[in-house]
Amino acid sequence: MLPLTLLRTAQNHPMVSGSHSSDASLNSALISKLVELKNGETFNGHLVSCDNWMNIHLREVICTSRDGDKFVRINECYIRGSTIKYLRIPDEVIDLVKEEHNRKESKRPQVKERKFNKAMPNKFSAPKKKKM
Amino acid sequence: MNAGDAKNAEKKKKESVFDLSKYLDKQVRVKFQGGREATGVLKGFDQLLNLVLDNTTEFLRDPDDPYKLTEDTRPLGLVVCRGPAVVVVCPVDGMEQIPNPFIQHE
Repeated sequence: MLPLTLLRTAQNHPMVSGSHSSDASLNSALISKLVELKNGETFNGHLVSCDNWMNIHLREVICTSRDGDKFVRINECYIRGSTIKYLRIPDEVIDLVKEEHNRKESKRPQVKERKFNKAMPNKFSAPKKKKM
Repeated sequence: MNAGDAKNAEKKKKESVFDLSKYLDKQVRVKFQGGREATGVLKGFDQLLNLVLDNTTEFLRDPDDPYKLTEDTRPLGLVVCRGPAVVVVCPVDGMEQIPNPFIQHE
């Protein structure tokens, strides 16, 4: 279970009905998250995408100031990964990760077998013929 | 192949990362490491998130608390923001201060 795997799963999947049903922003089909930055500000919003640097694109964001006294609504924002302290992700995501992992596991062996059967004999036999 | 892969990676980078091109010539708000904040018209950017802002105004901060903004601003004009110092970028359009939205849920 890698941190970015979790994030990537959170960005791909629609929100599962459950613990967050009380959330006002339920209508959006994306997973809502909380991001706290190193400067203490927090961003609540829907994760649109993230990359290998944990740079994050959020939609329908509510930015809370460091003291928790100012709240600003923002349509969309980009957060630099290196400035993030932590992220809170809905519990459902962990199940999604397991599901995805299982799906990939069940697919992988088949692909490998095919490659071995077809590719291996050719690789070994072709050079021999040339040398002969 | 390697060059192609690199290009693909770059494309992916640009896609996954917030697409700033749609905010060209629009007002954006930028927060910097250390607490500075500014708004300006986005004139250009690169993949390192270096930004060019025009008609920039900086929001001045409380001298006692570098993270607390005051009402004061100062004009900076044309500015290059260095990517590594940028923390948050968001469009000014649709930005509004609201009362605490979390109270009702608690």
